[in-house]
Order: sequence, then structure tokens, then C-alpha cells
Amino acid sequence: MTHLALSRISKDFGGATVVQDFNLDVKKGEFISFLGPSGCGKTTTLRMIAGFETPTTGQIIMDDVEITNKAPNQRNVGMIFQSYALFPNMTVAQNIGFGLQIRRDSKEAIKQRVDEMLTLINLEKHANKYPYQLSGGQQQRVSLARALANRPQVLLLDEPLSALDAKIRVQLRSEIRAIQKALDITAIFVTHDQEEALSISDRIVVMYEGKVEQIGTPFEVYNFPETRFVANFVGSLNTASAEVTDPAKGLLNVGGVQFVTASEIASRKKGEAIRISIRPERFSFLSEHKKDNVLDCVIENITFLGSVVRVQVKIGGASFNMDTFNNPFLELPKIGAKEQVTCSKNAVLVLDE
Amino acid sequence: MNLTTVKKHGGKIWAWFWMILGILYFFLPLIATFLFSLRAKLNVLSFTAYQHVFNDSNFVYNFSYSVLWGVLTIIVGVLIFVPTAYLIRLKLPQFRIPVEFITMLPFVIPAIVYVFSLVRTFSQPPLLIVDSPVLLVAAYTVLSMPYMYSAIDTGLRAIDVRTLTEAGQSLGAGWGTILFRIILPNIRVAILSGAFLSFAIVIGELILAQYLVKPAFAPYMTYLIQQKAYEPAAMAIISFALTWAAMGVIQFIGRGSGGGEQSQIAGGH
Ligand SMILES: Nc1ncnc2c1ncn2[C@@H]1O[C@H](COP(=O)(O)OP(=O)(O)O)[C@@H](O)[C@H]1O
Ligand SMILES: [Mg+2]
Repeated sequence: MTHLALSRISKDFGGATVVQDFNLDVKKGEFISFLGPSGCGKTTTLRMIAGFETPTTGQIIMDDVEITNKAPNQRNVGMIFQSYALFPNMTVAQNIGFGLQIRRDSKEAIKQRVDEMLTLINLEKHANKYPYQLSGGQQQRVSLARALANRPQVLLLDEPLSALDAKIRVQLRSEIRAIQKALDITAIFVTHDQEEALSISDRIVVMYEGKVEQIGTPFEVYNFPETRFVANFVGSLNTASAEVTDPAKGLLNVGGVQFVTASEIASRKKGEAIRISIRPERFSFLSEHKKDNVLDCVIENITFLGSVVRVQVKIGGASFNMDTFNNPFLELPKIGAKEQVTCSKNAVLVLDE
Repeated sequence: MNLTTVKKHGGKIWAWFWMILGILYFFLPLIATFLFSLRAKLNVLSFTAYQHVFNDSNFVYNFSYSVLWGVLTIIVGVLIFVPTAYLIRLKLPQFRIPVEFITMLPFVIPAIVYVFSLVRTFSQPPLLIVDSPVLLVAAYTVLSMPYMYSAIDTGLRAIDVRTLTEAGQSLGAGWGTILFRIILPNIRVAILSGAFLSFAIVIGELILAQYLVKPAFAPYMTYLIQQKAYEPAAMAIISFALTWAAMGVIQFIGRGSGGGEQSQIAGGH
């Protein structure tokens, strides 16, 4: 059932290892995101799938055919670039038909497919315009149509939305996802924006310094980060160092305050140093609902984020962010006020270092 | 505020001054030549000298050859320098400086030295091609290299060569297709300006054609100057007009097929 397999891929550039032991199996029709900070090797991995770079070691297999060393124009992959990369000398229709012309499809077949694609991206009226006459969002849609016209086995997108402004970015993102689902095409989407990855993907590959940190659904990656890096990078997670005080009962000392966790720490030793993480939205003021942990705190800062209000609280020696939904009747405490917050014990996650 | 107005004003005046000076410097000799060419008949202004030139089959013959050399030089130059500059931008950036240095050599090697070494090298077996027009066109291509290469390179700099190439590759295109259908059309304006200069150089070039003994405009005009007074002046004006007309044609052909120029501007930002 594996459609695209990367096994033990690594890539060196003049001695520097940029991608290390990368393993991934992709199913047909799956939407995968590579998520990670700039420079972590996302583009390099994508370019190896496209054939623009050759892996130093490892294998790439697509539909049971090894393509590790095949030239890019011998693979059937569609590529979308951040800068659109439309051919400036060709009209929208010519751009979309380019790949079909290379394949020597008949004139009628090309015209039919181009029209189909123009309808798909909703740009029928712009068929005879040149790229410079289109907005960024329109250009990126043309480049999507151009890549899809060839019916590629996999669609590769390298930060396709980064050059667009916020509104168009969100709109085009859902458009890409809708088209991908409608055509049931396998897609790999590179981004450094966690919100983008969480909203669009079937699975996310979180990368850091050339290594895969975690592969999972957005739900898994967000709610059950396996490493400290993932915890920090995905969502805005609080992390703090803690000391195990009672392994059997799940008690921890976090900056002088006792926390209880539902994570498995029975195997840890008393006094062992660990790291915990708590999502900001898992905290609430005590006035709402009492949970396992009841914690004294001082309000340090309040930031208004639209639908969410972020309150920074100091609990013992450690600072945490707490998110609470905004509403017009919300009564927020003053900065410097002493309050009590609460969170359940299964919100307190213990991270693998 | 008054001060800035004065300053701005002053700047403008000086800009005009230099521009007019430049125009005079360029056009005065041309006008003088033109007026002189009209004096073939005593005491009246006439186009007699021009009639003589156009009726002179040698002029037509030599000038046509120069045009032919010019066109061939442009074609050969494009075929050699576009792939070279492209390859260097795409794959061999470490060669950029040395190659740029090489392309500038015609500026520092006097034509007369160059032509003598050509004659020496290519007039003995196994390289006996000194009589072939191939050698002349090759030599012209070298002479026009600094202009052609830098024009092409500037054109390539204005487009995203790497990404356009990769986009083409991922759509299944091979190198030839990428070069001729994607790269070349998008640097057309740059190539035109290189072609413009190459053409002008070939038309005005004297030494190579003379020593390689090929029909060309400049040697003929040099010969005529020693024989006549007014006709060479008329010829200078005619050749000037014809050269500009030829370049206009090149320009026209170059722009005829699609939104090349605008798209290059669009590709540039
Ligand atoms: N052609 C190359 N030569 C040398 N180093 C490179 C090359 N391409 C990428 N790198 C390096 O590899 C690392 C990963 O780059 P990249 O895959 O582009 O990261 P990302 O897309 O995640 O931002 C970076 O440190 C980058 O400098
Ligand atoms: Mg990148």
C-alpha cells in the first residue's frame, strides 16, 4: 500500500550532513507536511524526491520503482515553488499546457486538459494573460494547475504560500487541500509555519537539524509531542524543568511548587531531573472548574490575541502561558495580582529529552 | 524651502547642460558630415553624392557582405554565449570570474595583433582556413564577445534561472527545450541589445576584414576616401542610417512574437 517510500535517506553537502537517516512511508492520496525551522533540511529532502538533489545514502521508491538516481525530467512529480516559477514568456494557458506539449499530446488533448485545469483553479477568464498580469495568489494557482496538468504521481510544494499575504495564504491553503482531496493526489508540503501544517495535513513530519523528530497526525503531534523540540515548536507549549519527588504517585517539584502528572514516571528515580510541558489552553482560572493541580500564581502579563487572551503567570519559580477564550464578559485580573490557576494531571506531559 | 527650490533648479539646469553638451558632441560631426556630403555640386546643395553611392555596385556588394557578417556573428554569438553563460550561472559559478575575464580580453588585445596571430596560426596545415569566411566570422564573434556575453549575462541575472530550469525539468523538459523555450525567450531583450552592439561593431570593423581579405563595408570606404571627397561622406551617412534601420528590423523581429519584453520586466522583480 506504500506509494512513496524514503528509506534511510541522508544528504551531505561538502561534509555537512543536512539530512540524516530520514525514513517515511507515504500512502496514495495522503497529504504530508514537512514542518521545521528554517535550515532543518525540509527543502533538501523535497528536492531529493523531485530529483534535483541525489541522496548521499538511502533509497527513494515510488510505486515499487526505485527512482533514487533518476533525472528530474524522468520522474513524474509536480513541483510548486515559493516564487511560483511561471514561465514569464508564456500565457497562463501556455504555462499549463507546457508539460503536455513536452509529452507530445495532441493539440486537442492539450486544449481540453488546459481548460479542465483552468476551471479547477477558477481562472478561465485569465487564460491568455501573462504571469505578470496576475496577482501572487493567482500565479500560484496557475503553477498548481501547471503541475497537476501532467497527472503527477506526487505533488511537491515548497513553502508555496510564504510569499502571499495572510488572507490569501489561508484561502489558498484550503483551496490546495480541497483540490488535493478531489483529485486524490499524494502531496508533500514543506512549511515552517506550524498552523499551516496542523490545518492542512493528514500527517506531519516534524524535522529539526536534519533529523525527523516525530511523525504523526496533527492531533498526535499537537497533543502528544514526543520530544522537547516538538513540544516547543508545535503550538506554543510551556516547558519547564522538574524534579521527580514521588514516582509512584506522579508527584513532581516544578520551581518549588508541587505538580501531579498522569504521565508514566513510576520507572523514574526520586530526585531525577526531567522536563515537563503543559499546553497554554489546559490551564484555567480556579473560579471556573477545580482540577487535579491547584496552583498559586502571580499575573505577569496579559496579551490580547483576538479570539484568545494569553495570560502569563508565574507559578513558584517558573513562568507559564495560559490561554483563555475571549468573550466580551471576560473579567481579567490585573498584572501583579495574586490568583489561583488549575490544570488536570494529564495536561502535565513528561518529555523524552 | 527657498533654498531647496534653488538647489533643485540648479540641479536641473546642470542636467540639461550636460545632456545638451552630450547631444552636440554626438551629433555635430554627423551633421557636419551630412552637410559636407550635400556639396558635391558647386554652390548648390544636392544629393548627387548619394546617387553616386547607390549606383556604385561595389558599395552595395561590400555593404551587403558586412550585413551578412554581422548577422552570422550574432547567430554564432548567441549559440555559443547563451549556453555558456547559462551553464555558468546554473552549475559552474566558480568559473564566473575567469570566464568574465576571458570575455574582456578583446578590449586589451589590439585588433592588429589579434589578426596577425590569426593569420599566422591558420595559414599553415593542418589549420589552413585563413581564406575561409568561417575564420572571419569566428574572429568577429570574438571581437563582439565582451558586449554579447555581458548583455546575455545581465539578462540571465534578471530572471530566476535556477527555479525556471527546475520548473521546466519537473514538467519533463530536457536541456534543449529549457534553453530554447524558457531561457532564450526570457532574455530576448538582453540578447537584442548585445546583437545591436555586435552588429555595429562588425559594420564598422576595418582591420579584420582587410587583413583576412574579405568583402566588407569599412575597407571599401577606406579605399574610397583615398579616391573621392563627397562620396565617402555620403556613404558614412548612408551606412549610419542603414545600420540603425537594420537594428530596427532586428528589434522588430525580436519583439514580434509575444510579450517578451514585458514579461522580462515582470520576471525581473
Ligand atoms: N546546495 C547546497 N550546498 C550546500 N549547503 C546547502 C545546499 N542546499 C542547502 N544547504 C544547507 O542545508 C541546510 C538545509 O537547507 P534546506 O533544506 O534548504 O532547509 P529548509 O528548507 O528546512 O529551510 C542549510 O543549512 C543549507 O545551508
Ligand atoms: Mg526551504
